[in-house]
Amino acid sequence: MMKIIVCIKQVPGTNEVKTDPETNTIIRENVPAIINPFDTYAIEEAVRIKERTGAFIYGISMGIPSAEDMLKEAVSLGIDKGILMTDRKFAGADTLATAYTLSKGIERIGEFDLIICGRQATDGDTAQVGPSLARTLNIAYATDISKIIEIKDNEIHCLKITDDGYEEILIKLPALITVVKEINMPRLPSIKSMKAARKSKIEIVEFDGIKADEKRTGLKGSPTQVRKVFVPLHEVNTTLIEGTLEEKAGKLSEILLNLRMEVE
Amino acid sequence: MDIKFNQIYGEYLRDESRQVGRAESIVFPKTEAEIINSVKEMSRKNIPITSQGARTGLAASAVPYGGHIINLSKMNKVTGARYDEKEDRFFLTVQPGVLLSDLRKYIANKSFVAAEWDKESINALKFMEKGRWFYSTDPTETSASMGGIASCNASGARSYKYGSARDHITGLRLVLADGDVLVLKRGQYLAKDDEFSLITEGGREIKGKLPKYKMPHVKKNTSGYYNKPGMDMIDLFIGSDGTLGIISEIEIELNKTFDVIWGLTIFMPDEDKALDLVRALRHEIKIADINLNINPSAIEFFSHKALKMLRDRQKTSAFSNIQELKDTCHTAVYIEIESDSNELVWAEVEKLGDVINALGGDEEETWVAYNPINLEKLHDFRHACPECVNLEIDQIKKLNAGITKLGTDMSVPDDKLKDVMKMYNEGMEENKLDGVIFGHIGNNHLHVNIIPKDMDEYEKGKELFLIWAEKIAAMGGAVSAEHGVGKLKVPFLKKMYTEEEINEMRKLKKIFDPSQILNRGTIFEYVEGQ
Amino acid sequence: MAGINIIKDKCVGCKACMGACPFGAIEIVGKKAVITEKCTLCGACAESCKFDAIDFKRDERESSDLSQYKGIWVFAEQRYGKLKTVSSELLGKTRELSSLLKTQVTSVLFGHNIEFLAHELIAHGADEVLVMDEEWLNDFNDYIYGEAMTALISEYKPEIVLVGATSKGRSLAPYISSSLKTGLTADCTGLSIDEGGLLVQTRPAFGGNLMAEIICPNNRPQMATVRPKVFKPLEPDYKRRGKITRIHKKPIEGFVKLLKNIDNSEGQSLSDAEIIVSVGRGIGSAGNIRLAKELADVLGGALASSRPLVDMGWMPYSRQVGQTGKTVAPKIYIACGISGAIQHLAGLADIDTIIAINQDPDAPIFKVANYGIVADVKEILPVLIEKIKGRL
Repeated sequence: MMKIIVCIKQVPGTNEVKTDPETNTIIRENVPAIINPFDTYAIEEAVRIKERTGAFIYGISMGIPSAEDMLKEAVSLGIDKGILMTDRKFAGADTLATAYTLSKGIERIGEFDLIICGRQATDGDTAQVGPSLARTLNIAYATDISKIIEIKDNEIHCLKITDDGYEEILIKLPALITVVKEINMPRLPSIKSMKAARKSKIEIVEFDGIKADEKRTGLKGSPTQVRKVFVPLHEVNTTLIEGTLEEKAGKLSEILLNLRMEVE
Repeated sequence: MDIKFNQIYGEYLRDESRQVGRAESIVFPKTEAEIINSVKEMSRKNIPITSQGARTGLAASAVPYGGHIINLSKMNKVTGARYDEKEDRFFLTVQPGVLLSDLRKYIANKSFVAAEWDKESINALKFMEKGRWFYSTDPTETSASMGGIASCNASGARSYKYGSARDHITGLRLVLADGDVLVLKRGQYLAKDDEFSLITEGGREIKGKLPKYKMPHVKKNTSGYYNKPGMDMIDLFIGSDGTLGIISEIEIELNKTFDVIWGLTIFMPDEDKALDLVRALRHEIKIADINLNINPSAIEFFSHKALKMLRDRQKTSAFSNIQELKDTCHTAVYIEIESDSNELVWAEVEKLGDVINALGGDEEETWVAYNPINLEKLHDFRHACPECVNLEIDQIKKLNAGITKLGTDMSVPDDKLKDVMKMYNEGMEENKLDGVIFGHIGNNHLHVNIIPKDMDEYEKGKELFLIWAEKIAAMGGAVSAEHGVGKLKVPFLKKMYTEEEINEMRKLKKIFDPSQILNRGTIFEYVEGQ
Repeated sequence: MAGINIIKDKCVGCKACMGACPFGAIEIVGKKAVITEKCTLCGACAESCKFDAIDFKRDERESSDLSQYKGIWVFAEQRYGKLKTVSSELLGKTRELSSLLKTQVTSVLFGHNIEFLAHELIAHGADEVLVMDEEWLNDFNDYIYGEAMTALISEYKPEIVLVGATSKGRSLAPYISSSLKTGLTADCTGLSIDEGGLLVQTRPAFGGNLMAEIICPNNRPQMATVRPKVFKPLEPDYKRRGKITRIHKKPIEGFVKLLKNIDNSEGQSLSDAEIIVSVGRGIGSAGNIRLAKELADVLGGALASSRPLVDMGWMPYSRQVGQTGKTVAPKIYIACGISGAIQHLAGLADIDTIIAINQDPDAPIFKVANYGIVADVKEILPVLIEKIKGRL
């Protein structure tokens, strides 16, 4: 039976950031945490593979202790076992340290066939942890997968979205793929699956539970540092075009045709 | 007909009912004084006036049958706020052209253009900061205007818990047909049995007698004038489809929001079991001795055919974003639950699972949403139903231009739920008509949409609706629950009330609008000299 | 060990740190700041505190000798023997950075039968081009390209390596940075050099609601992917002289095999378009998109979309502009029924004229638009199209 690992991140339910217009500082209200929306496609794809061919699905996350509930949610969506890596020593990790830490958690699981990640997390938007994790584990990878065409014994046949269109590719297993939202429509939990998930046990892994180099986890293992965070300013003088619908359309057509002459 | 007028203002001759009317002139007042001027001028010339908001109505109330249009879309400001400290109640004063979507945005952000507000209003805003508020009336079309919402007593899904627009309107300003202004506060003018007396701003006393007809015993009704001995007179004007005066200002009350909102779509193996589930949710029946304490804020329904339509459409790109329906899904019930804590809701949902199983359903065949993102998915699914119907009708219309949307908006008392469903299903079956049923089943208020294949079926459908209207009236129901009578449902109203009763309504109108210049053809057919 | 502590005696409960924290990890309890578990030890709060009440320690790192790393590298991405525009954009920016650092710009070019592109790279600003022209490099491959790049970087030791944040660049760059165990900043929209000679990498965070300045002080090379269209390429100077170095290495075999390219053929590409007509939710229905398409056609522009329409399946992802879609830099951008959420604005780079049509006068799009029209797009587009057709 296939062993599939899904990497899941807990993110804030919204990216809305309110700012104090006077001091230009950030007011962050407490928003509920959710599963990174891109990861829900990863979970769903793993569950669909399980439904087709049978598989055991691990869900692994690095995060704060309260991410345990999020992993239970992942269980209600179809993963078989949730693993939460949580320790102060993991805090402050950039993508490199995150990938390293996750790789150590995955080594603990043992052999596997496929790792599925969401293309990126909505709070960081880097899309780096997937490839970085594959590199750290020394396995093949491909990003932005929009369709799994077929899973064979030792390879997986996929469609990958690129800037120029699609690529049909074959990846040797074990491998890591990151998936885009075109790949599926994630299901919602049912009352039944939620009942089961609430009873499930999430495995908690701390620093001492993995064989890791402390210098490579958390803030210590992160080469990049955030130096400053600021609110972007968008200010332009806007000319409002007014009048009846006819008049507005008339004025705009003139502006457009003039601008177009300049372009040409 | 003035061709130029039609070219420039053609859009103001229609509304969402897709009926097209005619008119000779239009104004877009920005203040109440401008409404008064326009009304006085027309009244002097005896030219009929049709008032309009955002023209999203489905019963053609805003479609002019000749004369002058007063379009209120430019009166789109929130003009003040009020806080009742003793009872912790919050109120907003809005102009009729304010759009529901904008109002929701202002309230959610607690951000208003308050430069011209009085001191009391600005003070009240400080109290708003204390909590989170929302406006409960939630018609599906969020681009509806507040004036329109008041005029047709709109409701929506959450009216199961919160009631209709009427229950949240605490004040009105109306410009009457002679240009005088009537100011109404809830609790201010109560009828003494069937007699009422109102004083206008101009100092005129308007006295009259209420009609004798009795309204149906349903929770949602907007079929003709509200009428009850001892009633608050403000209720006469709410849901009067703009036939008694032109609303220039509305005071609405807000509700406090809950921290936690869950949505559940539950698939049941057949319609009867789905109806039993609804009854269990309403605490009318007890299943397997389970004490269900659930109090949904909305209970919605999707018939077998509605799900089939969605499933077929899902294969096309326009609806590929909605949740995937299994082939085995038969009939669905959607509920929404509000609470202060997830754990409280879960305790009930857990029991609900047992109830579903005991009814012969399967708790696995449910979609549970407990965060805003997933809740939005369930909302999208629900909204896909009417959108799908519109799409089907648009396609049919290409072949048969005469066909328009054929949808009902009737409600019945709780104990008639199964009867009315039987009536709908048998009616369509006997006439070999295809149709989908969805909507607010919590209040026994379902929208039946017939999908006619040709003109013949379209005519058959229209006839069937008249028969249904008659049967609904006999069940003690309402022929229009939330869309208003407008012009399209005038024949239905005749099935609900006798000619004499309708004449009583007309008499009431004439007390306020003697020459019947306001919204002619709405609620009553306009006949010269009647 | 890194750590953060509030010095209670000094804290006055002024909340300045709460505002500065991008993660909402500070609460005020009893007029004193408390750091919660959400803290990622970024240190933003320490700088904001006027009372020195936050004791923040970064780890002292054993930094290897960084001075041996010299020069700026730009990975030149090409497809079918054509350079991606982002490569020349990066070279243009890099000239500015290299003059500050008084160093050289090197471009790395991989592929098969592509050596001629080296002149193009020099014309756009490269001082040297490292060319690996091999049959086994014909198809882009994360592993093969990544291994080859890693080997070259280890050998030549550049201090900065920049890669275009194209779909391929975003996939390749983390392989290289992870192999070298160095930092990588994704999707930068700004690059500069600070007084200490460090590369300051600016990128949007929290869906574009915030901007973050990121540095990589102790590891080399400093690596970043940069969004296409945020920098302007230099006018190519074909007289410019540069060094072309050909490199041959033993073939590397990959684990991912490309079976087939299925290229988009849906009209003009967004990144090349001078005029873009972009549609948002205000268009009302999937059917109405043809109105925007028609406007794009009469103007000779390309059609794009905001995210909700892509989410609803009305428009393909390849047409999405914004934080999670493409960055565009046309001369004219016409936003039709787009509210202008910050995520969408994040996809608008250097645009000469933004025209916004929206029914909601408070829509944020008007704040960035040069011309604004408050109107229903569904109603104004047909009239507008007729007027333009009438004058063409």
